[in-house]
Amino acid sequence: MRIGLLILFSTFATLLSLSIGALPISLADLIPALFGRGEEIHITIMQDLRAPRTLLALMIGAGLGASGAALQGYTRNPLADPGILGFSATAAFGAVLALYFGHKPWLTPAALAGAGIGAALLLGLAGRRKGATVLILAGVGIGSLATALTGLLMNFAPNPWALSEIVYWLMGSLKNASYGGAVTNTSLTLLGLSLLFWIGPDLRTLSLGEETAKSLGVRLGRVRIFLVVGVALCVGAGVAVAGAIGFIGLFIPHILRAIFGPDPARLIPVSAVGGAGFLALADSLTRVLSVNGTVMYLGILSALIGAPFFIWLAFRAGRS
Amino acid sequence: MSLQIKNLCAGYGKTPVLQNINCTAQPGELIGLLGPNGSGKSCLLKTIAGLIIPAGGQVMLSNKDVQANKAVQDLPPRTRAKNIAWLAQDRHVAWALSVGELVALGRAPYRGRLGKYSQADMQAIKTALSAADCLDLQDRSFDSISGGEQARVLLARTLAVDAPILLADEPTASLDPYYQISILQSLSCAAKSGKTVIASLHDLTLARQFCSRVWVLQDGQLVADDKPKTALNPSLLAEVFRIQTKNGFSVQIPVKN
Repeated sequence: MRIGLLILFSTFATLLSLSIGALPISLADLIPALFGRGEEIHITIMQDLRAPRTLLALMIGAGLGASGAALQGYTRNPLADPGILGFSATAAFGAVLALYFGHKPWLTPAALAGAGIGAALLLGLAGRRKGATVLILAGVGIGSLATALTGLLMNFAPNPWALSEIVYWLMGSLKNASYGGAVTNTSLTLLGLSLLFWIGPDLRTLSLGEETAKSLGVRLGRVRIFLVVGVALCVGAGVAVAGAIGFIGLFIPHILRAIFGPDPARLIPVSAVGGAGFLALADSLTRVLSVNGTVMYLGILSALIGAPFFIWLAFRAGRS
Repeated sequence: MSLQIKNLCAGYGKTPVLQNINCTAQPGELIGLLGPNGSGKSCLLKTIAGLIIPAGGQVMLSNKDVQANKAVQDLPPRTRAKNIAWLAQDRHVAWALSVGELVALGRAPYRGRLGKYSQADMQAIKTALSAADCLDLQDRSFDSISGGEQARVLLARTLAVDAPILLADEPTASLDPYYQISILQSLSCAAKSGKTVIASLHDLTLARQFCSRVWVLQDGQLVADDKPKTALNPSLLAEVFRIQTKNGFSVQIPVKN
């Protein structure tokens, strides 16, 4: 029932994202156009622009949602998220490094490597310690360092165009979605998602603490590797296409935990579905808000929605 | 399944705790692991459970059906988990799982990645819930029940593994007398059903009442391994626990130095 409603929401967001744009396409024309039938212009828009863009929004949202749920499950801390723990920043630094040196084809691998190094560094530094404080402090530190290094590259940008390219890219957008990009991103994200789904039952056992989980046969070393690689694939692939999109990993699992219960094994796939729907909806919203030539950036919009939520969360945690 | 501990030395990281422990435990026994704070009780239980790799010596499992003896540290994690259940002293659970979900975690060593619970899993969960007397708590959230109920639920989680060896680290800590006794009764039942049960305890009166044998640790060494009434004699109580008793065990007072 509840899962049905969630899937319905994400399906609605998908159709909305396919339908909204400079040239609105009605629901009746939408599905035929996707399969190459109907008016020429509809087919072109659908197959070359909207379908890859919507697919990217769904995949990136799913990857961020599932990464957040998996990180929260592993750290047993509801504040964990790829953004707060600095992985998005390290992925963005990797990607900006590629942009700075003008090696566009290296953007995806560089973002993946950035996310992977960030995640491995953090879990190596603080992943095994008890308590949330060390983990979040280390994450904020790593994230700030990556942001500072990104700033340094912008500082040394050879010309205003190179600088503006980096700045716009960092604001996060799906407007340059291409068919090839969508295929690469989808395969990387699906691989990452399957790793995260795989460790779901282990993360559930981890609710009892690391030692008890170990006594129940969980291989913690392997769980940590799957987690780091899975998160790096999901976040890195997303950042490579759309820049740094924040907070989805934090608040999607949070809202869904209240509805579906806290079991991480269930929350990871559920957050993937919810994150996909949310980002497709947010991306549709950027298209509605991008009027008169101003482009609304997805990274900015999702942070505008996410940050107040985070503040409210901190406020509520402080009172209880 | 019986347990043999041979020349065991172990510790946390590089800090040695246990020195040259030798003892055995047989099915049907409820062994009370006694000793002052810091004497190495938790360390011994964790080493038996395979959570600490011994620095020297070994913990062996042996079974009449299986010819070969196996050291715990050489067992694959899941096999080890199916044979040895360990109840942590710390009762913290990260998420507000329901009691039913939590007890079901005891079946983790048996489950596949996508696997539903089998008939055997469901049976073991139900048996464990009733053995720890918490069938009526099944649908409650773990953070909404009392400390005593939480202790029983976590015991049910451990019983749900249905392992032949059951280790409990201070299962009665910070519980009222009723819950202390109910926990020990559940452990005693498990022992009577043929499991090998070892529980660390601080309450010497309860140890005398329920345990078939006690192991007494002092500074990482096993100083007594006997029936409780023989082991807990006045000289050991004064030497190890720094107490003396009056009127049988009804009054306990510290030994003046």
